[in-house]
Amino acid sequence: MQQQEHVSEETAKMNEIMGKEGPDIEGQGTPVQDILKAEPEAQKQAPQVMKDSIRTGQGAANAKPSTSRSFSTLTRRRQQDLTTSTHLPSSLDPSMIPTAAQRATYTDSHPPAPPSVQDTKTGHKFPLPSLPLPPTARKDERYDPIVTQLTNLLMRDGKKATAQRNMTTILTHLRTSPAPVYNPTRPLLPGAPPASHLPLHPILYLTLAIDSVAPLLRIRSQRGAAGGGVALQIPVPLGLRQRRRQAFMWILDAAEKRQNRGSGRDMFATRVAEELVGIVEGRSGVWERRAAVHRLGTTSRSNLTYGSRGRR
Amino acid sequence: MSTPICLRCLRRSLFPPISSRAAKLAATRAAFSTTPSRSANPPKKQSTTAKRDTSKTKSLRLSKNKRVVTGRPPAPGERKALRKRVVLSNSNALEVAGLEDFTAENVRRATLLRQLEGRVVGFGDATVNVLRALEGFKPTQGWGLFRRPASLVRAETVELGEMMQTLKGEKSMLSLLLAGERGSGKSVLQLQAMAVAYLQGWIIVHIPEAKDITIGHTAFQPVKTTDGQTIYIQPQYTAELLDKIAQANRGILSDLRLSRQHQLPIPIQSNISLARLVELGANDPQLAWPIWQALWAELTAPSQPDKQGLHRPPVLVSADGVDHIMRNSAYIDVETKPIHSHELAIVRDFTALLAGKTALPNGGMVLAAISKSTAANSPTFAAAHGHPRQFARASRDRRPKLPEWNPYDSLDQRVAEVMENVEVKNVDGLSKQEARSVMEYYARSGMMRGTITEGLVSEKWTLAGGGLVGELEKGAVRARF
Repeated sequence: MQQQEHVSEETAKMNEIMGKEGPDIEGQGTPVQDILKAEPEAQKQAPQVMKDSIRTGQGAANAKPSTSRSFSTLTRRRQQDLTTSTHLPSSLDPSMIPTAAQRATYTDSHPPAPPSVQDTKTGHKFPLPSLPLPPTARKDERYDPIVTQLTNLLMRDGKKATAQRNMTTILTHLRTSPAPVYNPTRPLLPGAPPASHLPLHPILYLTLAIDSVAPLLRIRSQRGAAGGGVALQIPVPLGLRQRRRQAFMWILDAAEKRQNRGSGRDMFATRVAEELVGIVEGRSGVWERRAAVHRLGTTSRSNLTYGSRGRR
Repeated sequence: MSTPICLRCLRRSLFPPISSRAAKLAATRAAFSTTPSRSANPPKKQSTTAKRDTSKTKSLRLSKNKRVVTGRPPAPGERKALRKRVVLSNSNALEVAGLEDFTAENVRRATLLRQLEGRVVGFGDATVNVLRALEGFKPTQGWGLFRRPASLVRAETVELGEMMQTLKGEKSMLSLLLAGERGSGKSVLQLQAMAVAYLQGWIIVHIPEAKDITIGHTAFQPVKTTDGQTIYIQPQYTAELLDKIAQANRGILSDLRLSRQHQLPIPIQSNISLARLVELGANDPQLAWPIWQALWAELTAPSQPDKQGLHRPPVLVSADGVDHIMRNSAYIDVETKPIHSHELAIVRDFTALLAGKTALPNGGMVLAAISKSTAANSPTFAAAHGHPRQFARASRDRRPKLPEWNPYDSLDQRVAEVMENVEVKNVDGLSKQEARSVMEYYARSGMMRGTITEGLVSEKWTLAGGGLVGELEKGAVRARF
């Protein structure tokens, strides 16, 4: 069946015969504004916005929309969330960062804007805060997200102040104990700073330990799926908070099994902190638990399609 | 009522019968225990009933119910030692460049000391050893976060240092009580006074926790004084105190020798050095009390600078947490009445100095500090150092109001007499300038991150209850990262 040509194709052929330039049909279709411009009948039926744009002459500017989008439709990559944004060194190529000379040229060519009310801070009884407000300025988010999450996991019987004190003890222990010695057989997250930097950045230390030992997946046991009363092991990927939670629960288990050397109310927190140091130094048994989960995930990866292929 | 039996028990413990069995028992049991040794180690019962067949028990046996003990358990006292351990250094903290020390030079001259005001100043190694021997550092203070011990020289420190220079020059004596909110720096001010005293060549006697004397954790026994009163000596505690004195003041005491004869249970050389004398008492609790008396007789003897070994330096006597010795102690006498703390011999000597009844003819200072974290209830003492609660209420009402005595509280006559002439120094929060200085020290040590701006200092100062230094440290270094 011979189909009628598209209006753009027709115009393109016509123009080719006449020796003129026409719409580029190889790249994309004709914008609707072009069609409307040529056909006054269709203009009457067009929406008001288009009529307005044709009248003001903006239609010409919209004639050829750019081929690239101003936004990205790619989903955000998980990898970025795994590292805390503030502490880990930038992974950008040094050549992409402007040099000092380039920055100087830029600042010369762009004189600074006149100071705003925020900067001058005059005319107020209490000075205005500098904007943008830091993320920790809000009451509910005053601590680092990982510290908040782990404090809640440490909490027993709803005693949050006790949990906060324990978290303080953990971070103080990380600050005051000697710098860890990395174990090459237990690689930490890529981009980990030198070990000597860790004690002065206790939250980075904590994040590195937790994220390094966090499992990527969990095993879901689907009952009755494998047949014969055997559960089918299905690996399920975990989100960032889930991974951290799993890792910290393992650490709490390991800390409970350690023996106290001292007495007093800070002993459990001290044991947790010792376990964290053990993880970074590669001595902890939590690494084995992580490896076991990952091994099981590898062997049962064929079960991933269980949901899509339906029940047997 | 079982009073006669109880009385007999007490009397027996007071005058122990000398018998071979009791002597054997005394040799085996500990120096002091609140439980009778007989009930501590009950004799094993002869099992009259037949042995139960363990194989036929009906209790549930699970492997998880068994307690698995792995490794060596902590030795007796090890766990407490770990809890009470004082850490004075953090090797991870950054070295603060240009941190000055308290030296003999800048402590002796008032102008140099005044120049240090508002700056954080470290303690030298020798000073740290002395302060450590005196137990001036406490585990709850934040020494373990920084590279080496250092403290802020505040206006009160300078004032105290100048006072001590005057007292040394005039050979006069002053009793001072440090009061103030919890975390306001009373104990650290006392520590600085000890450091200044050490560098000025004073003899230092320090009771680190007055609570330890009165809570009944150490042995006591009654003795009769010359004026017929019964007082209670604590041999073990006295020996420990003498040990601290010997360690901290060894340099000065070894240059001093006895100036007179003392009645001591053992024969000693007439020209023995005071350091050796104190060590004798430290090594033997039975000798501790007579030697303590002899030591005080020597320290309060008039100085003879022209004779070798008979000059006598000024003395700093300090005690922390004195509200615990301003009430009844936990000990009871033969009539099961509570013993007042002032009947305990060491406390009696200290309060005599505090009240000025015992003079220090070579100059000296008695520096007591109250404790707010372990505050003991002592209404008379609280009224004597200013009834802070009533003052707080008065300031809120904006009506000046004199402290009133609560008519339902019983007045403690002994405490009232002691506190009559004691000067009270209220330790308040830091000024914003001082707060900035101490926060800059935190930042330069790497323990506090971020720039120290005026706004940040103001924020932390306000959140710390108007610059209470303990709260400032908590807010800036400990709880927030």
